Amino acid sequence: MERTIASRLGISVSEPVSFLIKSGIFLSVCGATLFIALAASYPAVHDTLHNVRHALAIVPCH
Amino acid sequence: MPLKKFFFSLLFVIAQFFGSAVFADELNIYFKTTPRSELLRPFVDSTDLSLLITGADGRALKQGTVTVRLDAPRSGRVFSTDYPLVEGTVLSEMQLPLRQGRANWKQLLPIRGEYRLRVEVAANGAETSKVFTFYVRESRQKWLALAALSAGLFILGFVAGRIFTGVRAGTAMTMIGFALLTSATEISHAQPDRPVGRGILEVESAIVGKPAFLRWRMAATGNHGARGTLTLTVTHLEKQKVVFGVEKIGVDGEWSSKFHFFDGGEYRVVAVGNVPGLAPVRSEHVIAVTGVEPPVRTMITVLVYFVTLIALGLGLGRWSKRLGRVES
Repeated sequence: MERTIASRLGISVSEPVSFLIKSGIFLSVCGATLFIALAASYPAVHDTLHNVRHALAIVPCH
Repeated sequence: MPLKKFFFSLLFVIAQFFGSAVFADELNIYFKTTPRSELLRPFVDSTDLSLLITGADGRALKQGTVTVRLDAPRSGRVFSTDYPLVEGTVLSEMQLPLRQGRANWKQLLPIRGEYRLRVEVAANGAETSKVFTFYVRESRQKWLALAALSAGLFILGFVAGRIFTGVRAGTAMTMIGFALLTSATEISHAQPDRPVGRGILEVESAIVGKPAFLRWRMAATGNHGARGTLTLTVTHLEKQKVVFGVEKIGVDGEWSSKFHFFDGGEYRVVAVGNVPGLAPVRSEHVIAVTGVEPPVRTMITVLVYFVTLIALGLGLGRWSKRLGRVES
């Protein structure tokens, strides 16, 4: 996929830069997922994961 | 005034001052939790808290009142507990009559940390006070669950770090999803109080983070001074746990207390008043306690911790991959 995108856009990035981009996207997705799972107040998510949040000792809930 | 007379006068004044203090100190205050504090865990079952007040001779006081105030543990330096709005607040504050020198009540301790109990005793015209502290340790299962999640996130980062290092990125995307346990639900609705039974129990509109006022009075007799006993219990309906309770305490027609409803949800407050010569008066309220979002700071700290673990895993995964390549 990486090579396909690079050839279509006509760009090439070095391996460290590629790693940083991929890691950045990965961490962002993980952070967003964790936020939704552990901190979002949206009732459907909160109610489903309420006990999980309380079971983790340091995750704040109400 | 002759110097000798002056010194005698001064000595008399000092003796009077310290004399009253010594009398106050003669009251001994003993505090006990059941189960003992080493075995206490947060939000498990209500704990029996009991006080024993004795005189200098070791005998229990026959009459007197005790004012107690239980403060929740303060916030941690880095991480909060799962009920950050409770930290450092007053959990309960009330006046209890002494019965054979004893005062007992039940209280669910919601979070880990050091609790402070301030006790003020008024008996035989003297007053004294003492502060007790006791520590409630976090449940072992919670620490294990946190350790498991932390390890899982680190491993996730480690694997992703290996995949991202110099090879295809496509498979990396399959690593993004991870399973989360599902659980039972809790819903907090802000609803008006729904009185059931006799209307002699008043419960202030309650919100998490602020102690609410509970007041009971013997309205049925029309005599507020009627001496009787009161049994009052507060039950968390969703968890089916008694979070607060006093049993058969002596009251003069009315009794009040401050109580912190520390979790959003519905609670049942039941009061049973007994006055000699009258039928027991039972009153009940089901109240909905409004939940409040925890402070953003506490959430950010936790998220930063988890994301940092993944980032560390990424770094270590990349390092291990590159190390393997160099060796081969």
